[in-house]
Parts: sequence; structure tokens; C-alpha cells
Amino acid sequence: MLSESNAAFIQRHTSMSVGARDARNRPVVGRALGCRVSADRRLITIYLSASRAAALLDCLRQTKVIALAVTRPSTVESQQFKGDVIAIRPLTAEDRTAIAEYRDSFVAELGVIGYRAELARGIIAGDDDAVAVEFEPTAMFDQTPGPRAGTRMGAPA
Amino acid sequence: MSLTLEKIRRCFEGAIPAQIATCAADGTPNVAYLSQVHYVDSMHVALSFQFFSKTRENVIANPYAMAQVIDPDTGEHYRLTLQYLRTETEGPLFQYMKARLAGVASHTGMSKVFVLRGADVYRVLDLQCSAADAAGTVAEPVSMLPALRACSSRLAACADLGTLLDELMTVLAEHFGIEHAMVLMLDAASRHLYTVASLGYANSGVGSEIPLGAGVIGVCAQEHSPIRIGYMTSDYAYTRQRPGDGEVREIPFPGLTAPRSQLAVPITGGTRLLGVIYVESEQDLRFTYEHEDAFVALAGQLGFAMQLLEQSAERNEIEHAAAPPGRASGDTIVVRRYTADNSVFIDGDYLIKGVAGAILWKLLSDHAQGRSEFTNRELRLDAALPLPDISDNLEARLILLHRRLQERCPYLRLEKTGRGRFRLVVDRPLRLDAVS
Repeated sequence: MLSESNAAFIQRHTSMSVGARDARNRPVVGRALGCRVSADRRLITIYLSASRAAALLDCLRQTKVIALAVTRPSTVESQQFKGDVIAIRPLTAEDRTAIAEYRDSFVAELGVIGYRAELARGIIAGDDDAVAVEFEPTAMFDQTPGPRAGTRMGAPA
Repeated sequence: MSLTLEKIRRCFEGAIPAQIATCAADGTPNVAYLSQVHYVDSMHVALSFQFFSKTRENVIANPYAMAQVIDPDTGEHYRLTLQYLRTETEGPLFQYMKARLAGVASHTGMSKVFVLRGADVYRVLDLQCSAADAAGTVAEPVSMLPALRACSSRLAACADLGTLLDELMTVLAEHFGIEHAMVLMLDAASRHLYTVASLGYANSGVGSEIPLGAGVIGVCAQEHSPIRIGYMTSDYAYTRQRPGDGEVREIPFPGLTAPRSQLAVPITGGTRLLGVIYVESEQDLRFTYEHEDAFVALAGQLGFAMQLLEQSAERNEIEHAAAPPGRASGDTIVVRRYTADNSVFIDGDYLIKGVAGAILWKLLSDHAQGRSEFTNRELRLDAALPLPDISDNLEARLILLHRRLQERCPYLRLEKTGRGRFRLVVDRPLRLDAVS
């Protein structure tokens, strides 16, 4: 289970990278276009472009293991969540709202560190064919660059 | 047209962090940010190894990885399927990445955190654009071949080293829009580089010295490797000597106090380092991989030309009848030379030291005996001069001396009288004063 501050941290302003692997343990990487934490903070739902993250989605369907790294660009505060995929499904209206709100926060965040809005939107392009991936985080790590990077952040629920 | 690493090198400049996914032996994936993806060649990249991280642990156990880099113009993502090969902890690749990491670290406020432990070299097994339709429409990097061709033609027409150096400064400005540049030559014996030409500084800085290994220029010379940094970093800045601290025997380095972009390229002749071409800018990310390619090619031509011109200057053995020394008039100038470091002072002002200082003293001493015509060859054969070995670039020493005299002491001049020949012109009476 995520803490309230973890949940608040990851849903806005952050850059999100997703890792998975195929049946031969070959890793793949892709970008998430937003995420939402469930009310009980036990599930994270991330959004991936079906076309741009096709290989990543194939791996998630096949092996069901996932890693999500989130970083706030202005502070480089970073966290990583690992867990198991529960469902891959089409977007709901709530998901679309979450994607739109995340997009605005991300563009504003990158504006703070001097990136043009068009570039920021280009980085998170592809939400027109996005799908939702729900997973249950079972391990959380502090990943802020420095000697503490990789430290486990508290027992999973 | 298929995607190549060369087409996406702008993604490796560190403007936007890259990501890497790895997988543990038990199948648990890991994803992390990367400070640096470095282009090695069309088949290889090197990643910065800074911490003993999960990424590191994973690739040692399972050598596959996937990195994602981002186009700093469009935000497009490219994914590199990688296989870990080895880690380098010294040598040109390591030093190059260390310098670049210092730039990126300073740019992102991470100077204390980012220390390079190794350069992890990976083979690139596959390269894909995340947008399938964009793969064929990737913007090609601007070609620098036309500029390189124009520079190359003009350098090929130069018949002596002085002209070659001046022409290089001119063509860098005209064809590459370079505002600040210098050429430094190696003094192997003292393990220093000395400036022989510069562009775009209030003071030319000719004769100023950089120790091997110091800053971007010194590391480039030590490793025989180009070094390019796209951000300001105090780790690779040159400290300035403050004037007035006792008797100054240094010529101030002319470079920018806080350059935001720096590129140094070694000039070599065979395996031997001759010198360094250095350009800098007050703008972030001013020089690209394409600039680096072009300047490495130019430096190759420069190296050949320098060797050829040096050899042809020394082939000349014809002694010409000495013209009588001209009549000197005006107040007497005191020229003092300290034998310990061959430093020469003109009326108390520092002029030059080392090999060039020793040459000047020999010329002045001979001049006092009534000689004014000299050849490179006789200097080379003069056992009293500390010329380190036959491969030392004597012509560059004479250019240094010529330019220092021009700037600081216009009544003493070296005038070229032919290939490998020159005349010492003295317009004022001199008193030579040797101090041991």
C-alpha cells in the first residue's frame, strides 16, 4: 500500500518510465502517459499508448511483472514501484480526466525547468490510443540520485 | 531509409535524461534514469556507471538492457536494445565521459552526486522509434561536409605554419561561425601546451600554457581524444593567475571565464600528439557531434600539414650572405635572461621562457656579434638549445616567439626571409644581461 504522500507525489508533475520483460528475460522500456492511485492506495493504474508501447504491452500481458519509475524533473526526487499486473483494459472517463490533468501538470513542470510546451507535449504524445494497466505494487524504492538510491521505502502491504 | 545511431545523436547530448530497463536473474524488471548515453560508433554506445545500482547488478547477471532516449527538439522517443560488453575505468572513452558527466552534473545541480566510476560499453542490437510512422521522417542532422570541404581547400593552400594557423582561425569563423578558438602546441619536455594562435579574445594569449591533463584542453591532449562538453562546469574551468603576485612569469590564458560549451580536438602526427584545436562558446550545447566529426577531420589534415611544413622548413641548407645589421637608435633596452628557466624580461617585463626564451637569447647573443640572418636548421643543430628532440615543432616555437615580440616588443622582430630562414631586426640598442 502506498502512503498518502507517495500517492500524491506520483500522480502529478512527474516523468514516468515503465519497465517489463519478455519470456526470455529481455527487458523493455516505455513511457507512461499518466497514472492514478486507487482510493485504498493498493493499486496503481498507468496509461500506455497501444501503438507506441506495443512491445511493452505484449510483455506485460505475457509475464505480468512491471516496474514503474517516477521522477519529478525540477527536484529529481525519484521513486520506483514494482509489482504484478492485474488488468489491462480500455480507458474510462475517469482515466481520460486523469490523463488530461496529468498532461497539464507535466507541461507546467517542464516549463519550470525551461522546456518549451510543445516539447513537453511531444514527450508525452500518444494518448489518443492509450490503454490502462492496473498493477499492485509489492515493493517501493527511493531512487533519488545519490547514495540512498535503491533503498527500500517501507514494507509493502 | 533505416534508422541509424548517427541520425539520432542529438538525443545523446544530455538535454533530456534517458531511461534504462534491465531484468534481474529472477525475472524482476527494473527501470532507472541514465545521466549519459554516449555515442561510441555506429554499433556501440557507452552508459555512465556512477553508483552500484540495481541496473548495474542486473546487467552483470543478465547482460541485456533497453535504453530510451528522447529527441530534444520533438520529444520523440527512440529505444535501443542493448547487450552489455565491458566496463572501462580509464583511457580516452572514460575521460571523455567523465568530462561530459561533469558538464551534465553541474547543469543539473548534481556535481557532488555524479562521479563516474566507469564507462559501460554496450553493443546496440536494435534501434526503434516509438512512433512507427516517424522512423522514416527523422530530421537529418545538418551536414557539415560543405563547410569542412571549404576549410580543407583553404588549409591545403597554406605554405608555412604561420599562415596555416592564421587561416585555420579565419575559416573556423567564416565557415563554422566559431567566435572563440585557439591552437595550442605540445611541449613534451615540460608536459605543457602553449598557445600559438587564437580567435575572438581581447588578448591573444599567445604563449599562455596549459598543463597536460588540466581541463578540457589538457585531458584531450593527455588522452589523444576529442572532448566536448555542452554545459558550464567548474570542474573543467581554468583558474586565472592574478596579476601582481610577485614577479609574473606566466602569460594569462585568454579563454572565457565560464564557457558553456567547449570542444577540444587533438592534432596528431602518426601516434604523436602535436597540439590541440580548442573552440568554446558562451552558449549551452553550441557544438554538436557533427562539429566534433568535422573538427577531427580538420585536425587530421592539420597534423599532416604541420609535419610536412616542419620538414620542408628544415631541408633548407643554403646559407645566404648576412645582410649587415641595421642601425639601432633610441634608448637602450635591457634584456635579462634567467638561465634556470630561460625566462626573458624586456626592461623588467616578462616576455617568454622555455625553449622560445632560449632561442631568443641565442639570436640576440649572435646579433651582438654582428649576425642577423638565421636558419631553422642551425637552431635545430645548436647543442646549446634545449630542443627536446628532432620531432619537436621548432617552427611553432618561432611562431610563438615572433608573435610575442610583435605584441610586447615591436623594436625586436623576426622577419621571414625564405623557407626555413629568417632575420632578426633590432631597432633599439640592447644591453644583454644573463642571470644564473
